[in-house]
Amino acid sequence: MTTLTFNTPSATAPGAASPILAARSVYKTYRLGRVDVPVLRGATLAVEPGEWVAILGASGSGKSTLLHLLGGLDRPDRRPAGGEGENTILFEGRPLNSMSAADLDRYRNTSVGFVFQFYHLLPELSVVENVLVGAMIRHGRWGYLRHGRSAQAEAASLLEAFGLGHRLRHRPAELSGGERQRVAIARALINRPAVLLADEPTGNLDRKTGDAILDALAAHRQATGRTMVLVTHDPEVAARADRVVHLRDGQVVSGPG
Amino acid sequence: MYQALLTRRYLTTKVMPLLAIVAVMLCTAMVLIVWSIMGGFLTMLLNSGRTLMGDVAISWPTSGFAYYDDLIERLEADPAVAAATPVIESFGTLSLPDGRIEGLQIKGIHGPSYGRVTGYTDSLWWRPIDEPLPRDTRYKDHVILASGEAYSGRIVKESEGSIRFRIESEKGRARTRTFSREEIAQLGRGVWQDIRLRNHDVWARHLDNGLHLREVDERTGVERPAMVIGIEVTGFNERTEGGVYIPRPFGVRTETGEVLWRNDRMIDSSLLVTLYPQGRSGRPVDVVSRILPVANEFRSGVYEIDSSVAYVNLDELQRMLRMDAAPRLEVGQGEYDVSIDPETGEERFETPEVQRVDPPRVTTVLVRAADGVTPDRLAAVARRIYAEFAAAHPGEVPAPPPDAGRAPPDSIIIQTWEQRQGTMVAAIKKETGLVMFIIMFISMVASFLILAIFWAMVSEKTKDIGVLRALGAGKLGVAWLWLRYGLAIGLIGSVLGGIMAHLIVWNINPIHEWIGRTMGLYIWDPKVYYFTEIPHEVEPWKAAIVLVGGLTFSILGALIPAVKAANMDPVQALRFE
Repeated sequence: MTTLTFNTPSATAPGAASPILAARSVYKTYRLGRVDVPVLRGATLAVEPGEWVAILGASGSGKSTLLHLLGGLDRPDRRPAGGEGENTILFEGRPLNSMSAADLDRYRNTSVGFVFQFYHLLPELSVVENVLVGAMIRHGRWGYLRHGRSAQAEAASLLEAFGLGHRLRHRPAELSGGERQRVAIARALINRPAVLLADEPTGNLDRKTGDAILDALAAHRQATGRTMVLVTHDPEVAARADRVVHLRDGQVVSGPG
Repeated sequence: MYQALLTRRYLTTKVMPLLAIVAVMLCTAMVLIVWSIMGGFLTMLLNSGRTLMGDVAISWPTSGFAYYDDLIERLEADPAVAAATPVIESFGTLSLPDGRIEGLQIKGIHGPSYGRVTGYTDSLWWRPIDEPLPRDTRYKDHVILASGEAYSGRIVKESEGSIRFRIESEKGRARTRTFSREEIAQLGRGVWQDIRLRNHDVWARHLDNGLHLREVDERTGVERPAMVIGIEVTGFNERTEGGVYIPRPFGVRTETGEVLWRNDRMIDSSLLVTLYPQGRSGRPVDVVSRILPVANEFRSGVYEIDSSVAYVNLDELQRMLRMDAAPRLEVGQGEYDVSIDPETGEERFETPEVQRVDPPRVTTVLVRAADGVTPDRLAAVARRIYAEFAAAHPGEVPAPPPDAGRAPPDSIIIQTWEQRQGTMVAAIKKETGLVMFIIMFISMVASFLILAIFWAMVSEKTKDIGVLRALGAGKLGVAWLWLRYGLAIGLIGSVLGGIMAHLIVWNINPIHEWIGRTMGLYIWDPKVYYFTEIPHEVEPWKAAIVLVGGLTFSILGALIPAVKAANMDPVQALRFE
């Protein structure tokens, strides 16, 4: 494999004592018709800076829900807190539910990066434009005029590192599944987030391609020391992480139990 | 920034925005076309009333009133009056060369002053064309056979004995036939080309004759009073789709029973006019006929007027209707005054003594307002001036109307053109209301259509919204993306719609002709409507309102889906399939 070069995450503080991202007794209930379906029932998780954590769980166990909550895409249930700081998500010690909408948008834009199972690339944009969308959102119209050039260089270098340097102007429809997922990873990394959140990144790929994606993620992590949280139902995928936690009955348990 | 990029890409890579643009374009065009044509029709109707009959009419029908020159002088001295002209309004018949007799409104006018009060000068049809339009130069050949059949089309090939002719039917179909020279009675080359383009001097003379309602003998220089008839009066003028009039051949049966085919232009002939002068009671007291040359034909554009009005030289009409200056004689004892010479005892006829000369009369004085003077204000001015005029001629002219209350039957009638055409104006106002209601309804339908399309587009892009939110896009940013998208579609659609409406409205008459020719569907029949052609002008302010409206509705149509998009739960949006 070629040597991958990556920029280190801007907000990572390796070796710090407190967790960079934590869920404290988080509850989340969905309503299906007239029935309340509790998905998370006091899930607790702490991710240390630079750590690669895999959340393993069966389909429907609430893995993706937990990841969405960690990434600020969704909010935990509104319920009376059982104790100080419970039912909250903390990023670098700061509870997400105390953030304003604009702060939460900024958090999703710059502090975390999402990778989805179904890639979710914008089909009308080229590969490089898909990667640049995050930078455009970050800098705004006028800021992008100033930072656009460096963002484009960053996007090109990320895509080059993921072996897509020759595909910059292609549309997602012209790429294979593995290539699309690599574009999605590059997109998640464009703003150098502290944490990369991956939701079944290999779930839609064959084993070989999936392995290649995991190799790329591993290489990236090795090069940058970026914190990664990966959600999967596949124990083999989970085994690539530093630590595996299980999600069962809406709670995080450490052992396979 | 991402909004601009995505708007551009959505617009250029998807079919949906194209459909939306077409929908906005069609809606904008539809509203603008309906408004321009119907509004143009109503405006034309109102304006024509004004341009054809001046702003205010002072009238005393049938017997008319005298000293009108004095009245006109007094009127024109007032700054509220631009011009005034004497008119006689009467009825009569016109005998046409094919034997038909047409009942007409006969108006006696003094051309130059009538032209200052009304649009008469511009309505004279036979005149030189100084700046020809492309349509004026389009032409067709025509052939009239000895048997009377007439065809128009093009001469394909000419040889000594025959002519190959491509016949183009009114329905647009074409076939080729060969005619022998013997068969052909008349061959017209390029007769569809407007003949007014050639022989400038001839048409200039016709224009001058029309303006002065006279015919000047070229050899002797003797002037004859003449008339100017509406271009649709005789039915011998055929209007081509290019707006050119060509002679329509007509048959005349001779005394021996043969049919003689002719295609005369009325301006080169004379027609018999018959009038029925009436007494004060309205009973005809005489029948007067004159053969008058046709100096010109006029086309006001209002079919009803173009087909039923003939203008006759005012002096001539006064003579015919006995409204000219006449000597008033001393009234004698009996039918004849006879006196007996006391010396010789001989009876002697007494020549009645001319006491005075009664001045000529007219039935109407038309007045045109100066710029910025409303017809109502002008009517008030006319009433004041008439009162002064009546005071100057006590007992000789009809009484002035009272300032308030019901006018007695012997007082003069002073009316604005709106009052004269009261029923028509009221109908037009009702029609305007109806048209505005229809336009409002069409606009509402159009805006809901735009809303529905945008709703569908946002639904289609739900997942993109989830992705953008996951990447950190704020609610306002996502809303702005859709608003921007709506704005772009609205702008492109409205501008295209505006262009389309202009093209259609400007060419509505050829389009209408084409539909009529190919499908036999003549929606705008000039015999039913007032005008011979469909209004074909788009007023810039209307276009501006419709364009802004199209844009506004596009934004409004995008606003609701934009708010929907902004408030969408990103997790739900990502799960959307």
